[in-house]
Amino acid sequence: MPGVLTRWPASYPLAFIIALMALVPVGVLFGLASDEVQLFDAHNLKVLTNTLLLMLFTVLGSVLIGVPLALLTAYVQMPWRRLWLTLLAAPLAIPSYIGAFTLYAAFGRGGEIENLLGLPVPAMDGLAGATLVMILYSYPFVMLTTRASLLSLDASLVNAARTLGMSIAASLWRVVLPRVATGIAAGGLLVALYTLSDFGTPAIMRLDTFTRVIFVEYNAFGLSQAAMLSLQLLVIVGLVLFLESRVRGSRERPGRHLTLWPVRWQRWLVALAVMPVLLLAVVLPLAVFGLWLMRDGAGEFDFSYAWNSAHASLLAAIFAVVLAVPVAHAAIAGRAGRLMERMTYFGFGVPGIVMGTALVYVGLQLPFLYQTLGLLVIAYVLRFLPLAVGSVRSTAEGLDPSLVKAARVLGASPREAFQRITLPLTVRGMVAGAALVFLEAMRELPATLMLGPTGFETLATYLWRVYEAGYFGRAAIPGLLLVLMSALGLALMLSGERRADFDVTETPHS
Amino acid sequence: MQRRAFIHGLAAVGALGCLPAARALAANSTGSATAIAPANAVSVDQLPKLEGDITLYLGTGEGGLYENVLEAIKKRNPKLNLQIRRGVTAALANTIVAEAKAGVRRADVFWAVDSGSIALVAEAGLARPLPADLTGQLKAGFQYPQWAPVTGRIRTLPYYTGRFTADQIPDSIMALPDSNLSIGWAPAYAAFQSFLTAMRLLEGDKATADWLRAMSKRAKSYAGELGVVMGVERGEVDVGLANHYYTLRLKAGKPDAKVALAFTKNDAGCLVNASGILALSEGDLPVNFIRYLLTREVQSYLATEAFEIPLVSGVNPPPGLVPLSTISPPRVDLTALADLRPTLNLMRSVGVL
Repeated sequence: MPGVLTRWPASYPLAFIIALMALVPVGVLFGLASDEVQLFDAHNLKVLTNTLLLMLFTVLGSVLIGVPLALLTAYVQMPWRRLWLTLLAAPLAIPSYIGAFTLYAAFGRGGEIENLLGLPVPAMDGLAGATLVMILYSYPFVMLTTRASLLSLDASLVNAARTLGMSIAASLWRVVLPRVATGIAAGGLLVALYTLSDFGTPAIMRLDTFTRVIFVEYNAFGLSQAAMLSLQLLVIVGLVLFLESRVRGSRERPGRHLTLWPVRWQRWLVALAVMPVLLLAVVLPLAVFGLWLMRDGAGEFDFSYAWNSAHASLLAAIFAVVLAVPVAHAAIAGRAGRLMERMTYFGFGVPGIVMGTALVYVGLQLPFLYQTLGLLVIAYVLRFLPLAVGSVRSTAEGLDPSLVKAARVLGASPREAFQRITLPLTVRGMVAGAALVFLEAMRELPATLMLGPTGFETLATYLWRVYEAGYFGRAAIPGLLLVLMSALGLALMLSGERRADFDVTETPHS
Repeated sequence: MQRRAFIHGLAAVGALGCLPAARALAANSTGSATAIAPANAVSVDQLPKLEGDITLYLGTGEGGLYENVLEAIKKRNPKLNLQIRRGVTAALANTIVAEAKAGVRRADVFWAVDSGSIALVAEAGLARPLPADLTGQLKAGFQYPQWAPVTGRIRTLPYYTGRFTADQIPDSIMALPDSNLSIGWAPAYAAFQSFLTAMRLLEGDKATADWLRAMSKRAKSYAGELGVVMGVERGEVDVGLANHYYTLRLKAGKPDAKVALAFTKNDAGCLVNASGILALSEGDLPVNFIRYLLTREVQSYLATEAFEIPLVSGVNPPPGLVPLSTISPPRVDLTALADLRPTLNLMRSVGVL
């Protein structure tokens, strides 16, 4: 055993198995696509352009919003910091299709805003509308991954820069941000993949993207054509993965992070600057829900759906993090490990319904698992593993390797060093990763419909059911509950993060 | 009143209590409703009790209304263990085919809002033939040996009443692009594609392509037909192409909505398509389950609450819809509408998809 370990990092065998598992659905896609191939036509070029533009603008916008918010939530000592953080991450708790629909219903001629206030507001649709919605519901990816990196950054360099006369803004820009490039890129990658695979938003905003073409094919019983198009989409995913892997951060010792104490007027300014995002992403959908609730009444609602959602999502979050640890460590250990890590990302870029179908084929090969909660949790893990891997990796990268070496010198076995040094120090990334998986699983729809046990109803499937038939009033209670529970999960996990925070940065001997 | 009853009624029983027909369905006694039974429509009271385990795959249910029906059937048959898997219709059809390939069968019955998905499963040879006395309950033109249409939906032209009256809307679908009206449509929507397939079968590929080309110059695309109807009601477009029930439902919730229905005559523009159900496993239980959906009680419940068109003879059409005798839908084999591939190719070549 130790002989092998000196040659190959301990995480490789496990990471290799996990990467292979993640590729199984892609293999099924190849099988489905093989019997009918119709490659690119001229219309697809326009679709490809739309898809790439949407992705590009969404990533740019998410970075522009997410990074300042990460700085804010990591370093600035605002009153009620936890509340701010939870609120700012809350868009993750709202399925983007719900956000898109409420925004669409609120804006434009005859929209709810005009009905209520009499103010004419522009319509929300096309590339601009889709980009706005995607940014509003995916910037927290960037915010959370960047924040995790920021928190493990030692403030002494900034302090040095400040002592040498650099302003705060300049030192943040030139000293802090370059060192969290991997965190930003990891978030940007998730945003890009999420945008590539999202169907609801472009459909509602009437933007012709790749997922829409795939969905049309799928519904017209062109399963093989849909699989073929998904494979083409995976080429883009591969390209994005390659680009992201070129981003290099710095390796340095973690330490006590920077803390900024704003004065009163600065606090107000910050709150004011954050408002538009919160209003559009969180308050507006909730207000529209509230309006529909008043107009249509609540209907009756079975609270077991909420339990089902939470239960399955929690299991997925736990398993995803457990699997993410070896993959993330393999990614840091060497080039081969990096490749394995990249492989686990493919599942996140495939449209849900195609991925769901591929997993039906996988599940049918495992009859004892088919249509059980187990298979559903596996599906969640395969789809959302990258979320956990990304945050664990970006935290682990900030880990000081000399700590592990010190432990080894003091006689700890590699296993003990991992358990007592590496693992506790990456808890923050694990918690953030678990939170992301939990929130994403809470709002996941196609795989839940296709793979869960028969009769297994979650908040998301119930929302879909009533939305599908156009009875929006009934969407209000489960919609609000979904947001509330996700926010609660988020808050719980963030309080776990605070303990980890303390361990790493507050103890004098770290 | 109907709307309120509907809104409060996901758990079914309470809401069903307000409706005489549904009460008869939910109650365990022989209801007084049998006295007024018209010819051909069977009452639930005449049906055998359902017993045993049955799994239903339900493709895109109608927001709790199909659920209410299923709840009522469960309540009436306490010994029935009904398991329901819901999903996107095409996804469930693909799942059923994948299961059959792997030698697994989980569903006993498949109820889909879209006849195309039914046809996909039937063409894979997975549907069990239905007895003639069951299919015989359905209206002429809706009798198929392997599946049973449950309710119908008619293609309509919802128009903006803020600017137009019914006589300003063309009564020929082929003439629509020649009018000066601005048009809303949802080309990616399954119901639209079925309609276009019907047009292809009735008018030929060339006429359909020309129509699409002319339409695409003046049409605004929406994601779905609910969106089309909402767009018409906002006055974004003058007229739309949509299934009838979206308009009726919108008006039920918002009686002053500025939208009304116009119909074309004798062409694909007023096609009647149907949701359907088929049996996947042998035995009496799946067939008897299907019989329940064709009862007078279920049919009139779906008509009054979901605004769907009953397909069993002798049940009244939904409120707010003109009498069916005034509409002249074209004759089309609904199973043939599953032939979507040429339709999609046509739409692509014209550039509307």
